[in-house]
Amino acid sequence: MTACDPAQAAAASGLAPEPGENAPVRLPAIEVRTEPDEVTGFLRETGGIGTGDFVPLTFPFRWLALPAIRGLILQLTGGEGFLPVHESQSFAYERSLHINTDYVLDVEIEASEKPPRLILKMVVSTAGGEICARLETVLRIVRLVAETDI
Amino acid sequence: MIDAAPGAPPPDWPRAGDEIGAQNFGPFAQEALARYAAVSGDDNPLHLDPEAAKAAGLAGPPVHGMLMLSCFEPLIMGWRRDLFIARLSAKFLRPVLAGDGIRVMGRVLRSAWVPKPELILRLTARGRSDDLVILAEAAVQHKNANLIS
Repeated sequence: MTACDPAQAAAASGLAPEPGENAPVRLPAIEVRTEPDEVTGFLRETGGIGTGDFVPLTFPFRWLALPAIRGLILQLTGGEGFLPVHESQSFAYERSLHINTDYVLDVEIEASEKPPRLILKMVVSTAGGEICARLETVLRIVRLVAETDI
Repeated sequence: MIDAAPGAPPPDWPRAGDEIGAQNFGPFAQEALARYAAVSGDDNPLHLDPEAAKAAGLAGPPVHGMLMLSCFEPLIMGWRRDLFIARLSAKFLRPVLAGDGIRVMGRVLRSAWVPKPELILRLTARGRSDDLVILAEAAVQHKNANLIS
């Protein structure tokens, strides 16, 4: 398997790839919730100073670790011998997130070959469909070198 | 409510060139990286396993880029509590290894009051040797932007 093969990953995850080479893979909508204890823990470890209803700006990044998203990232990364390295990140908010509230994630992942990268785009919306935030994460895929390779 | 004449910014509204005072974060011990991995879900072995970091060509586990990027929000909110961070974009330029800290700071690139009260900020994080590790830009708006105009 190559470091980035969205067609194989989409097939493995049961998703239909869009037409064209390296077409983005779009996941089915994912429901999430800003659980108070998760927000509090995140604030504690990131030096946050907000209280009450405050949800940190970077908190939605943790949703990339949800099994459906994480699994696809790992598949696209290429498995053992490769690791993703965070290259750039952006957040664009249209409205603040609130604690203890349900949201819906729309996630799309695109792979590029030269250089090997994954580009993840996530839209966070309210349960009513109002867009709250858009995230873009760029991960460079790094091949690990075993000591015997050096 | 914002107490200012229509179209004119209040006297304390930042101007282009204003600095956001530097603030130190960290040092980020390996234990802090493990705790961040637990709360963020980012348990990439690169950050947690010295052998994985070595195999990736690093002298030690690097601090999560997102942990460092998270420091900009308290920097901005500590500067002014009346702002809403509408956009934040960042490039991670160099790794900061576990055990090191960062110094974050900012500067107002552009300031507007109409049609909406918005500031464009240049944000940077520097490592132990003053090397630039994160270059970022933020668009921040007054929290009561919808009350102006």
